[in-house]
Amino acid sequence: MKYFVYIECQDGQPLSASLEALTPAAQLGEAVAVTVGSASAAAAVAAYGVPVMDLDAEPCCPDRITAALESVIREQKPDGVLFAATQAAKDLAPRLAARLDGGCVTDATGLEVKDGKLICTRPAYGGTILERLAVTAPAFVTLRSGSYAKPAQTAPASVETVPVTIPDGAVKAKLMEAVTEISEAVDLEGADIVVAGGRGMGSAEGFRLVEELAALLGGVVGASRPAIEEGWISRAHQVGQSGKMVSPKLYIACGISGAMQHISGAMGSKFIVAINKDESAPIFSVADVGIVGDALEIIPALMDELRKRG
Amino acid sequence: MAYIISEDARELLKDVRDFCENEIKEQVKEYDISGEWPKEIYDQAVEMQLHMMDVPEEYGGLGLDHIDQAAILEQIAWADAGVAVTLNGNGLALKPVLIAGNEEQKKKCCDIIINGGWGVFALTEPDAGCDAANGRTTAVREGDEYVLNGRKCFITNAAVGDFFVVTAMTDKSKGTRGMSAFLIYKGTPGLSVGTHENKMGIRCSTTSDLVLDNVRVPVENRLGEEGTGFKTAMKTLDLARTWCAVIAVGLAQRCIDEAVAYSRQRVQFGKPICKNQAIEFKIADMEIRTEASRQLVAHAIRLADAGLPFSKESAAAKCFAGDSVVQTALDAVQILGGYGYSREYPVEKLLRDAKIFQIFEGTNEIQRMVVGRAVIGKI
Amino acid sequence: MNILVCVKQVPDDYVEIRLDGAGKPATAGVEIVNNAFDTYAVELAARFCEANGGAVTVLTLGKDGAQSGLKNLLAVGASKAYLITPPEGDADENCVAAWLAAAVQKCQELNDEPFDLILCGKESTDEISGQVGAMLAEKLDLPFVSSVIEAMPIDGGLSARQETEFGYIRYEVPTPAVFTIAKPGYDPRYPTIKNKMAARKAVIPTVSAAEAGMEARPARVVCLGYAEPPHRQAGVKVQEKEAAVAAAKAVALMAEAKAL
Repeated sequence: MKYFVYIECQDGQPLSASLEALTPAAQLGEAVAVTVGSASAAAAVAAYGVPVMDLDAEPCCPDRITAALESVIREQKPDGVLFAATQAAKDLAPRLAARLDGGCVTDATGLEVKDGKLICTRPAYGGTILERLAVTAPAFVTLRSGSYAKPAQTAPASVETVPVTIPDGAVKAKLMEAVTEISEAVDLEGADIVVAGGRGMGSAEGFRLVEELAALLGGVVGASRPAIEEGWISRAHQVGQSGKMVSPKLYIACGISGAMQHISGAMGSKFIVAINKDESAPIFSVADVGIVGDALEIIPALMDELRKRG
Repeated sequence: MAYIISEDARELLKDVRDFCENEIKEQVKEYDISGEWPKEIYDQAVEMQLHMMDVPEEYGGLGLDHIDQAAILEQIAWADAGVAVTLNGNGLALKPVLIAGNEEQKKKCCDIIINGGWGVFALTEPDAGCDAANGRTTAVREGDEYVLNGRKCFITNAAVGDFFVVTAMTDKSKGTRGMSAFLIYKGTPGLSVGTHENKMGIRCSTTSDLVLDNVRVPVENRLGEEGTGFKTAMKTLDLARTWCAVIAVGLAQRCIDEAVAYSRQRVQFGKPICKNQAIEFKIADMEIRTEASRQLVAHAIRLADAGLPFSKESAAAKCFAGDSVVQTALDAVQILGGYGYSREYPVEKLLRDAKIFQIFEGTNEIQRMVVGRAVIGKI
Repeated sequence: MNILVCVKQVPDDYVEIRLDGAGKPATAGVEIVNNAFDTYAVELAARFCEANGGAVTVLTLGKDGAQSGLKNLLAVGASKAYLITPPEGDADENCVAAWLAAAVQKCQELNDEPFDLILCGKESTDEISGQVGAMLAEKLDLPFVSSVIEAMPIDGGLSARQETEFGYIRYEVPTPAVFTIAKPGYDPRYPTIKNKMAARKAVIPTVSAAEAGMEARPARVVCLGYAEPPHRQAGVKVQEKEAAVAAAKAVALMAEAKAL
């Protein structure tokens, strides 16, 4: 079976989550990476030993990327295309599936082939339930980051520039401006330690404690949806269903009650510490250590204790 | 009340519940401390039309069934009894107008409320609480006007009122038959707001003195005939007591919900405290009292809707619901123990809010008098 | 501008759904509500029409009983509502999108006016697949922008602001177009009691699959079964009066587990 892996790029470099998708693609059969109009990214991907097709098209807007991918898929008829489950891919995959009458699965966490059919596992209902879905080819599957490790680099594979035909009128939604409001890079997915805060931090000032604890531990700051909606921190920090899936060695949840939509984003953590005033908060049912108390008092005490240990 | 309302009203009640959960329940904590009138909550409530449930359909009202209305008021009271008292204040002020007013007066007052205004019912005076007929406020006829002088006290919404129903003696010698009711509009010279009460509970409602200093009111602003003021006021209170009882039921339900939630999660001696019969029975009694109150309310409303006498039932409902909510709030505090006494937890506020229900809209002693006299009959 | 909002009815997402005895999602008894993102779409549409003129129609593909959710939307900004029953049998997102495309045509016919803009929530809170809006745009061959939080009229079309991880992207599209809606900076309005009670009395036109020209079609994605993710065991609870004592205990536990 032949699977394309669409490699999404940022500043000319492949996204780490896209590289992770090379792993299941190789396990399922023959993997071919696809980049759109980026020789630098194509070369970077080839270093992982997977042949790369760099489509000869400007990756300037979603409509054009969709059309470029459609063209090469029609031409080469792979059994499916894997994507990292990014915001952009969550549009690409269903659009291509509709155009090519294929099956589409988003946010898959596991892939296997059984009786010649691709079987995907994915969470639903806020993460409380896993679905097992059989997909008819061509399959268009987005993979949740952290589900697979990216392959090791080996001898570089080939890079081929592939011409594509983009029909006139393919671009219907004109991209006018892309504005960056949040310039900080937040690598929640790759973090070893995540310190996250929620509604229980009470205010923007209270939330600063979460940041201080994260800084002390050398961790990355996370947040639950209420903290983001309150405007205490930018949405780049969101952990959970509508944010990032994290899998650090240590996850500290401060003033987070633990709605499933949030917990599901942190379930991959090795060790979870929860601080909450409400001793019946659901977060305690998944925490390895649950501290019952006001996070505004506990965090400073924790920092003192950690400093003592040096 | 939610279980005896129509499916459509149940859908409406869900919206009200969402509103209470999202916009009232937590927000009132801060106002309970400051004693400030939470205008932004009331602005939103007005937008949802929760302030105009007593406006009759023919005057642009909502046409809600009384039981549906009770279910909504109960839900608001669950979130905050003071907010329910304020919103219900419009009904209290509108009732005497609807009972005794003429077409023009009814239309004008309903329009004021529909447009987001507040009505005020001013009966109580410093020396005329239970003994309303002992009022010292006077209205002296001078040509086409009455001149009102006096001071009313404990007046809900006085500080924000747009129209005021004020009782005054037009003929002191006739006792209760010498009392008349007047409609006074905001801005009338001589009408002012006196001392604000710094209350123990229902602190999201505003209560103040209303001062009448040579307030000149045109004759056409008199509600009904001269001398009918006391009758109008008593009829108003008959209805108002039922609504007061509804608010008590909502507050009692909140006490139950808080106590149950706490007793399920509070573990002592290795088990949740609700598994102790001492707690379980207390919760059972809270529920029994509250449900009985609710049924007394529903009974009074149904009698009123059927056009049957309901004074006794209304007084009984108010008395029982008022006594019950105080005991239920005490029980909630007891179940939460030290936390029940702490301002960090919500139930001490519930207890402070509860006490007024034995006092206002006729003390429970007065309610017992009404019920007693109705049962014993004339001797 | 005539706006259609496609609304899915889902189990209340405040309730945690687990598997029942038969290994299926235990949704029985859970209240069915309008999908949250779809209600954001209705609010965005209502605000758009209040500012620029036009009317909002809402459409649900569903069975008898789904009228209630539609009536509720008539109280918060929608002026017309249709319930269309899809064909029986298993369906994947591609099937739903194809049926929705047919339903859109049918609604235009019933309204006797075409839509300028078709909105879907960016995802539903039950399946969270987030596919249907994008697929619908393809089936209708219309311009598509996802995760929109603001739409403004421009000459000959619309300007749409798409929320992205790091900011936003602004697109311009000719109409008609399909957008999916993310959470804008405001919440859906509460209904007034009057609107609510009037809406509850509305009769929702119900159209069968055949009347809407929908055909059964093979699903490309078939659910084989469900599982629950591995449960995490609750660990140690630290409950101390003094924050410092609690912190010391917690840090000791973390150190013991080599989590630091």
